[in-house]
Amino acid sequence: MTDEAHHAPHPTTGQYVKIAIVLAVVTAVEVALFYIDEAVDMAGWDGPLLIILSFFKFVVVIGWFMHLRFEKPLLSRFFAGGFILALSLYGIVVGSFLVGLITR
Amino acid sequence: MTATAERPSKTIFRRPETTEGFWSWITTVDHKKIGIMYGYAAFVFFIIGGLEALLLRIQLAGPNGDFLTAAEYNAMFSTHGLTMIFLFVMPVSAAFMNYLLPLMVGARDVAFPRMNALSWWIFLFGALFTYSVIFFGDVTPPLGVEGVPGNIDPSEQTLLGGLPDGGWFLYQPNAGPDFSPGTAVDFALLGLQILGIASLISSVNFIVTVFNMRAKGMRLLRMPVFIWMTLVVAFLLLFSLPIIAVALFMGTFDRAFGTLFFQAAGGGDPILWQHLFWLFGHPEVYILILPAMGIVSEVLPVFSRKPLFGYAAIVFAGGGIAFLGFGVWAHHMFASALTPVAQAAFGLSTMTIAIPTGIKIFNWLATMWGGRIRFTTPMLFAIGFVAMFVIGGLSGVTHSVVPSDWQQTDTYYIVAHFHYVLFGGSIFGIFAGLYYWFPKLTGRMMNEALGKTHFWIQFIGFNLTFAPMHWLGLQGMVRRTWRYAPETNFGPWNLAVTIGAFTIALGILVFMFNWTWSKRKGVPSGLDPWDARTIEWTIPNPTPHYNFADNPHVTSLDHFWHMKYDEDDEGRAVRKDNADEIVAQLDYDGKNPKAPIHLPNPSYFPILMAAGLPLIAYGIIYHQGLAGKLLIAIGAVITIGSLLGWGMEPLEEPHDGGGDHAEEMAEAH
Amino acid sequence: MADVIEAAETHAEDHGGHGEHESFGIDNRKLGMWLFLSSEFLFFGALITNYMVYGNDTFGATVVPREIYDIPFTSVSSFVLLMSSLTMVLAHHSLATGDQNGTRTWLLATALLGSIFLGGQVFEFYEFINVYGMTLTTNPASSAFFMLTGFHGVHVAIGVIMLMSLFGMSRRQGGLSEGHGMNLELVGLYWHFVDIIWIVIFTIVYLLGAV
Repeated sequence: MTDEAHHAPHPTTGQYVKIAIVLAVVTAVEVALFYIDEAVDMAGWDGPLLIILSFFKFVVVIGWFMHLRFEKPLLSRFFAGGFILALSLYGIVVGSFLVGLITR
Repeated sequence: MTATAERPSKTIFRRPETTEGFWSWITTVDHKKIGIMYGYAAFVFFIIGGLEALLLRIQLAGPNGDFLTAAEYNAMFSTHGLTMIFLFVMPVSAAFMNYLLPLMVGARDVAFPRMNALSWWIFLFGALFTYSVIFFGDVTPPLGVEGVPGNIDPSEQTLLGGLPDGGWFLYQPNAGPDFSPGTAVDFALLGLQILGIASLISSVNFIVTVFNMRAKGMRLLRMPVFIWMTLVVAFLLLFSLPIIAVALFMGTFDRAFGTLFFQAAGGGDPILWQHLFWLFGHPEVYILILPAMGIVSEVLPVFSRKPLFGYAAIVFAGGGIAFLGFGVWAHHMFASALTPVAQAAFGLSTMTIAIPTGIKIFNWLATMWGGRIRFTTPMLFAIGFVAMFVIGGLSGVTHSVVPSDWQQTDTYYIVAHFHYVLFGGSIFGIFAGLYYWFPKLTGRMMNEALGKTHFWIQFIGFNLTFAPMHWLGLQGMVRRTWRYAPETNFGPWNLAVTIGAFTIALGILVFMFNWTWSKRKGVPSGLDPWDARTIEWTIPNPTPHYNFADNPHVTSLDHFWHMKYDEDDEGRAVRKDNADEIVAQLDYDGKNPKAPIHLPNPSYFPILMAAGLPLIAYGIIYHQGLAGKLLIAIGAVITIGSLLGWGMEPLEEPHDGGGDHAEEMAEAH
Repeated sequence: MADVIEAAETHAEDHGGHGEHESFGIDNRKLGMWLFLSSEFLFFGALITNYMVYGNDTFGATVVPREIYDIPFTSVSSFVLLMSSLTMVLAHHSLATGDQNGTRTWLLATALLGSIFLGGQVFEFYEFINVYGMTLTTNPASSAFFMLTGFHGVHVAIGVIMLMSLFGMSRRQGGLSEGHGMNLELVGLYWHFVDIIWIVIFTIVYLLGAV
């Protein structure tokens, strides 16, 4: 998120459509992964893969569709702050329940 | 743009009287009026919460008290907590923030004046909704405990016994449908939900105001500490309120729609409620204390006639407290089934909170050290704050030691601790602020003799009330229990506590008399009664409704003080001129650029939109009948309809200089 | 932290020509919306946590959400919501280039796609309740499922209402002004946010939860 990014021109209609196609393809890959795992057990590899793919979609929508790439870095900091806070707090809560399940 | 007028000429400082009368208060978007309304409403609830506390103390004055039934006792301590936290300390802090934030950053209003009005009306209606439980609430005997002595018999339900009785934390499943049937707890859950919406809106508003509305030259590290604390509190609210919103929804759904989140009998896990509640609840205690810390950081330097020692350290310590405050919630849950590793981790993180808090305490002490202290009423309250908060803080550290905490959990030691930080802390700080900024509000001084009387009565009463609770707690007197046996020997100290509680009440009466008397008959304050340091004192008292006739241009921290004083060769402060002269000269030296005054238009939509929410809440409680469904529909139509009306209301200038925004937007696209 | 503030300050100085105010040079309303959305992470985070804690909590009931998901159906409705983000951004783009007709078309398309998504959700709930007999009160897992997806649905519905009112305003006034253009941008931010929350829900609740 440099200052050049801030002044970079916004995407054109064509570029928006291309971004949407990429998002659609990634979604298709996700669904495919789900069925591949049903057919041949992926030994737990499907989980991380799915999370990485959905995080990719998450970042693309925020960065391009929500224009965060083109905004002042301050906004990204707040937004990332809320996201990371949620991730760490709820991570601890969910984690404590999982540990509880294991030790129970 | 209808409210646009040219800058008033030198002789006429009053604009046409479009700003008075009943409707001006209903439709106002003026941050000062909103702040005043917040303040008075909060004080009414302070009195109610105080009376509830007195009832509790009468019951506990001697062993085997029979003044209240067990049901009434449960309801009283629950509503006392809910009232003092959500209906007094939070809104009175909001009152200070509303009134002072624009004045201290040099703006004519907050960033979103209509949203500011909206959050006030939502708060008021939420508070009224919560207390309407007294007319509508009912309690029926919990399953399987009918006929237990002292418990509720529906035929004998008293007025007070029909109030929410699940504690301010509304622990589940005790506050769930099985153990708290009836509607009383629903009012608490839904009322807090509405109050949370109000706070969320004002938090966004205050953050944007601090970031975007500062006067020229008011850089972040030149802002008064109170504004910094406002910013920190706004962020705490922003990130903690959504958590409690979900928890409250889950609790409401359990009660109203039969979900099984916290119902152990249906597979739910009550510990999840504790996590979600304290994820919010711990940041909440900093939401309660940080505004008071900000007030004290303004008062101490003024009356010590020294700059605040370690300004930046105090600011960053405030931020540090907020940040760490999100990582310590489980220390409220040491007595629940946490793993030893989690207990150790949360014990450690709790101890680290003492570091930024200690930084603040030492900086306040260093501010007073070597100063020529004037022991005025606000100063006495501020010093009282520091002393009492240290005691409360130290007993707090003892809770971070897990085995020690197990001993203290649910005893009066805990009650003593949090009253030392919330009453000795927050409320002493709030009174310091009320005495200090009273001239800003009214143009008159509060009576000093009465003020000092109030302070000493309250100070002695406070310590008589809460210090013995430490000893009672360590001797094993448990909280939330309506009676104790004579053999326990808790009687004498409990009597002392009760006497202390009534002493506090006497102090508050003195304050109320002082306030009403001084409003009419107090000595006129003039421009700068305290020899203050911050720019809200550069404008006349009481504050004109446009705040600053000319936009201030700030060149330093403690800007007003630097306008008044020079340094001599030996580094001593030398007074330049009296404040009125200096302020009068501002117009001529070009420091304050002239600008036309734009004030936002009043609007009907905030109060309308807020009115829809309690209707929806009533509807949820009575959703099984047709009336309830109708109420939900009507409430939704009112709220969404006024949202649309709001959106289509002609665009108005949000603040002075706001006309530039259209251009900026054009550039941004 | 001090350097962060310094950096922000420099920024403020860069945009010093900002009326009479020090500011970060971000429009008030836009800053407010971003702050609100960052707090929404905590809101949906709690709901997702709730589902993750209870997702396997069948409590003796015969039916749990993860066993009755209709993955092909939900994939299609996820795709629909994803595409509504495209139409939303195109509406914004059209307004920026002064194409009022295009703006209205894309707004309508976005609202339509959002409604299709909502219709899908209603159908899904109907199936779960009437075909599989899984209601809000069956077990904690079903409670958590309906709570999470239901609150997301409410957010989508509010978004559709806002889109339709923008459309109506545009029709009545013959286009959206710059001031309203800002409103469109705010609604757009909200809409995309609701979409990214669904991206997370689709993966965590449907794809992973059903494994």
